[in-house]
Amino acid sequence: MVEQNIEIRLAGSGGQGLMLATSLLSKALVSEGRSVAQSQSYEPTSRGGLSRSDLVVSDGPADYPLVSKLNFLVLLDQVAVEESKDMIGDGAVVVTDSKTVTEPPKGDFQLVALPMLETAISLGNRRIANTIALAALCAAGKLCERETLEKVVTAGSPKAYIDLNQDALAKGWEMGLNR
Amino acid sequence: MLAVTKRENVQGNAACALGAIAAGCRFFAGYPITPSSEIAERLAGELPKVGGTFVQMEDEIASMAATIGASLGGVKSMTATSGPGFSLKQENLGYAAMTETPCVIANVMRGGPSTGMPTRPGQGDIMQARWGTHGDHPIIVLTPASVGEIYSETIRAFNLSERLRVPVVVLYDEIIGHLLETIELTTPDDDQLIDRKWASGDAKDFLPYADTDDLVPPMARPGDGYRVHTTGLTHDDRGFPTQVPEKAEHAVTRLLDKLDHHAELIESYEAVMCEDADVIITAFGITARAAHKAVKNLRSQGVKVGLFRPITMWPFPEAAYKKVTGNAKAIIVAEMNAGQLVLEIERICAGKPEVHRVNRIDGEVITPDELQAAVKEVMS
Repeated sequence: MVEQNIEIRLAGSGGQGLMLATSLLSKALVSEGRSVAQSQSYEPTSRGGLSRSDLVVSDGPADYPLVSKLNFLVLLDQVAVEESKDMIGDGAVVVTDSKTVTEPPKGDFQLVALPMLETAISLGNRRIANTIALAALCAAGKLCERETLEKVVTAGSPKAYIDLNQDALAKGWEMGLNR
Repeated sequence: MLAVTKRENVQGNAACALGAIAAGCRFFAGYPITPSSEIAERLAGELPKVGGTFVQMEDEIASMAATIGASLGGVKSMTATSGPGFSLKQENLGYAAMTETPCVIANVMRGGPSTGMPTRPGQGDIMQARWGTHGDHPIIVLTPASVGEIYSETIRAFNLSERLRVPVVVLYDEIIGHLLETIELTTPDDDQLIDRKWASGDAKDFLPYADTDDLVPPMARPGDGYRVHTTGLTHDDRGFPTQVPEKAEHAVTRLLDKLDHHAELIESYEAVMCEDADVIITAFGITARAAHKAVKNLRSQGVKVGLFRPITMWPFPEAAYKKVTGNAKAIIVAEMNAGQLVLEIERICAGKPEVHRVNRIDGEVITPDELQAAVKEVMS
C-alpha cells in the first residue's frame, strides 16, 4: 500500500511569520488526531530572503517526512514562487497574496489570489498576514475545524495580540471560504 | 518512576535533549554550533529543573574535556556539536575511550568539509565518527532516522556508555535534527535505565582497570575512598602508565574485545522487505526515510526491493548484514557524502552481491524519486 499523505507548504520572505503559522497548523492537525512532520528552510538573514515551512500530514508516522508533490501551497511573496512552482500537484490549492505575488505559478491547480497583506494592514498590523493566510488556507482547503484553529491561535498568541489574531483569523477564514 | 506517554510535536534536537534527561543525564558542557544548538538550548532549560548542571564552555575542546571530567566525577554527562566542533573534540574523545569514561556526544551533521554549509544537511562524518581520533580505539556510533528514534537512541546511548564504559556518538543529519514530528514521548521505567557498575569491597585491594568476566571494570565513586589514577597513557590494571609490551597489548586488546564481547547488546538494525529482495538499498538517517518510501512505491509496482538500515552504525552489524543481503543480486548504498559507508559494505560483500552507489554532496537530500530511478537502472 502506498500511503496517501497531504503535503502542505507555507512560503514567503523571512519575517512574515510563516514558520509560526505552520507550527500552529501542526498543532491544530495533531489535536484532531493526525500525525505531522514539519521541516523548514531559511536563509541566514533575520528579515527578507526565502523562508518556507513544510508539513507532511498522515494518519501515522510518515515513511518520508519531506514534501515532493504539494497538495496545498501558500505564497506570500514573489521570492517564494520559483522554488515551489514545479512541486505543485494536480488539483492542488494554491493561495497567493494578490499584491506581492505578481507572477503566480500556472498549471492544473486552483489558484486563489487574496489581498492578505492589504487586509492585515487594514486591521492595523501587517505582521498578522500569517494568521490571515493560515485561516484562508484552512478554510479553502478544509484542513481543520475553525474552532480548532481558533484554539491554537489563541494559545500561540502573546496576550496583547489575541484579539487582533482572532480578527485576522475571522477575516482569513471568510476570504478562504468565499474564494 | 513509572512509564508515562505523551503525544506531541517534538523537534529532533529537542528529542535528543529530552532523551538525555530521561536517561539520567545531569551534566552538559557545550559550545553552540549550527545545526545542533537546540540541544544545548533545551538542556539549558531542562537540566536545572532536575538538579543538573549546564555549562556553556569557552570552546569545543573544553566542552569535551568538561564532559569527561563530570563523568569521572560520577554524573551521566554529554555534549553536542556539529562537524567543525566534532573535529576539535577528537583528541579528548580518544582520552574518553582510553580511560573508559562513559560519555555521550551528539553530532548533528551539516555540509562539509570544514565550516562547509552550516544550515544544510550532510552525512559526511560517518568515517570520522569511527576513526576521528587516533589509534585503535573502541567507540559506538548510533544513527537514528526519526525524531522518535533520536529520543530512544539517546537513551540507549547513555545505557550503552554507562554499561560498557565507552564513548557513544549519536549521529544524525540536519534534516532529522530540525524536523518536527508527532511522537509518543515515553518516559522510561527505572529498570530500563542502566547505571555504571560501582566499585565495592575493600579499598586496599581495588584495581581501577582490573580484568573482569565482562571486560568492563567497575568504576570508583568519588568519595568512596578508592584510589584512582586516570591517564591517557597506556596503563596497567592500577591505572599507572606502562610500556611493558605484554601489559600494553593486554590493555588495548581488552578495550577492543569489550565491544565484541557485548556485540548483541550493541547491535541494532532495521530490515524492510529484504526476504525476497533482488535489490537492497542500504541507507541511514533521512536517506533511509527516502529509501523506505522508494521501497514501498516500487513494491506497489511489483519490483522486489528492500531496505537495510543500520541503527547502530559502528560497530557495523556485519553478520546480520551478510545474512540479510545473502540472496540479493545487488546492493545500492545511498548516502549524502562522496561514498563512506559504501567502503564498509564493499569490504563486507567482497564482490558478492555487486555494490552500487548513490551520493549527493550538494547540501540537498537524496529523494525517493532518485532512489527509484537508481533501483530501476541497476535492475535493467
